[in-house]
Amino acid sequence: MSKEEEMRSPQGRNSLRVQAGGTETVGNEEALFSPGFRSVAVMAGWDEETLLIASLIVDDTPDRQFKQRRRTDSGLKTPPSSSRSGKRRRDMRRIPNDVPAIVLELSEDQAERKPDSHADMKEKTGPSNKVVEEHKGVVESKAASSASTLQSQGLPLPSMDRLREELSCAICLEICFEPSTTPCGHSFCRKCLKSAADKCGKRCPKCRQIISNGRSCSVNTVLWNTIQLLFPHEVESRKAAKAEKIVATEEPECNLPEMAASNSNRRRSLRAAAIIGRELYERRATPSIHEVPQFHVPERGEITNYRRRSRRSVGVPDRDLHERRRPIPSQDEDAALALRLQREEFMEAFRETRENSRTSTSLSTARANLRALASRAINIRVRNQTT
Amino acid sequence: MLSAGSNTAINSSSEGSWVSPTSVPASRKRIQREMSELNVDPPPYCSAGPKGDNLYNWIATIIGPPGTPYEQGIFFLDINFPFDYPFQPPKVSFKTRIYHCNVDDTGNLSLDILEGSWSPALTIAKVLLAIQSIFTNPNPYKSQMPGIAHLYLSDKAKHDEVAAQWTLRFAR
Repeated sequence: MSKEEEMRSPQGRNSLRVQAGGTETVGNEEALFSPGFRSVAVMAGWDEETLLIASLIVDDTPDRQFKQRRRTDSGLKTPPSSSRSGKRRRDMRRIPNDVPAIVLELSEDQAERKPDSHADMKEKTGPSNKVVEEHKGVVESKAASSASTLQSQGLPLPSMDRLREELSCAICLEICFEPSTTPCGHSFCRKCLKSAADKCGKRCPKCRQIISNGRSCSVNTVLWNTIQLLFPHEVESRKAAKAEKIVATEEPECNLPEMAASNSNRRRSLRAAAIIGRELYERRATPSIHEVPQFHVPERGEITNYRRRSRRSVGVPDRDLHERRRPIPSQDEDAALALRLQREEFMEAFRETRENSRTSTSLSTARANLRALASRAINIRVRNQTT
Repeated sequence: MLSAGSNTAINSSSEGSWVSPTSVPASRKRIQREMSELNVDPPPYCSAGPKGDNLYNWIATIIGPPGTPYEQGIFFLDINFPFDYPFQPPKVSFKTRIYHCNVDDTGNLSLDILEGSWSPALTIAKVLLAIQSIFTNPNPYKSQMPGIAHLYLSDKAKHDEVAAQWTLRFAR
């Protein structure tokens, strides 16, 4: 230890103590340097401050002090005990410039950590919001939370639209459901690709290249998972629609002539009741229309909802479906069906209103377009006649 | 165009007698989708939409592209979608008379993508664009009307003149 150092040290140490006491970074410092290294540094005397500076405890030190210290360092010529201390010294020399930047970095780091914790919170609260939709798998809930974070981060909508365009199937024009990729690299819904191969020959619908093996329609899992993460709602509604289709083709009570004879409204409620209630099977032995209203089904809203839905989805061919005769499905099948229906109830309620409004508006705009065009045509004709 | 109204009534009344193949909802969905896409982003010089309440029966218009003898003509087309639509081509026919070697007297047009080389990835917008392209480039080698094709090949100026006359007479 030189005199210079002795003279300087009290003041320097005092200031250090104050700062170290002010912050809780002493522990941090201990974690940064091994005890052996620290003892060596203490023996060297000058190095403790440097260590602290290097470990970013001193947030702002006047340049003057640094210059002075550097001079003392060079004057001392005490060789560093290890290469690490050498590195520290080099760090120290850079510090006058670095310190403010590093401080900034720290605050940035904190800022970055904040949204993370925010997202964590969301992930925690996300599932609790969806208590109603308990049936949703882990993947879905994750997807939903990730989508919400995407939205919260302000992902621009145009890119979402482009993504939707990219990820939609050219055959059904919707988001690919269980996408399958052809050897030529085009992706379609597995079902769409399959029926395209069956009905239109084994060529890629997009580029007409021969699909070597039309039967092997394996799902592109990466793409499928991506789609599930990006468009959880669409995927969910497609799943619901799929289940609904199964419902439409598996309706059990159509084969009862008495019921087919009754009015259509009654039939609809019957059908809903039959699907929801297992009890029908007990009563089917004596099928009578008057019995049906006595069914005590707790989910009253579900019946009406289902009725509405079935009317919409089956639409005009509804009548034909009724007349068609079908084999009676097993009890278990029906129970499973009822469960599925209950699960999809929530999703369905929202989907319905949205879809209805959309189709009606697009229809009306299409008509308006046509009307405008027709009037334009007539105008031109009238003008021609007058001239 | 006035006849469209009466057609509407007929279609809506005949709607109830549909047979329902399993693929009806899928084709319906796809047609609805195409309709909304056409409304959002219509192709140039084209328009299309359902005639009445029947989603499977559309009417479309193509305005003759400039630089062709069909310029400024408004051609109406009928589009009928099959029930397994994206997998079968739609039936497209001209309602407006046109002097074109690929369109016969009754308005049926020969277009490869509406026959053998149909692909389910094609949409009505693309079909209309293809029809527009045969306005500019008729295909005399795959012709419905050999007389017009012959004239087109031998005396294109005369052909264009007649086509322009027909456009003036029927399509304006």
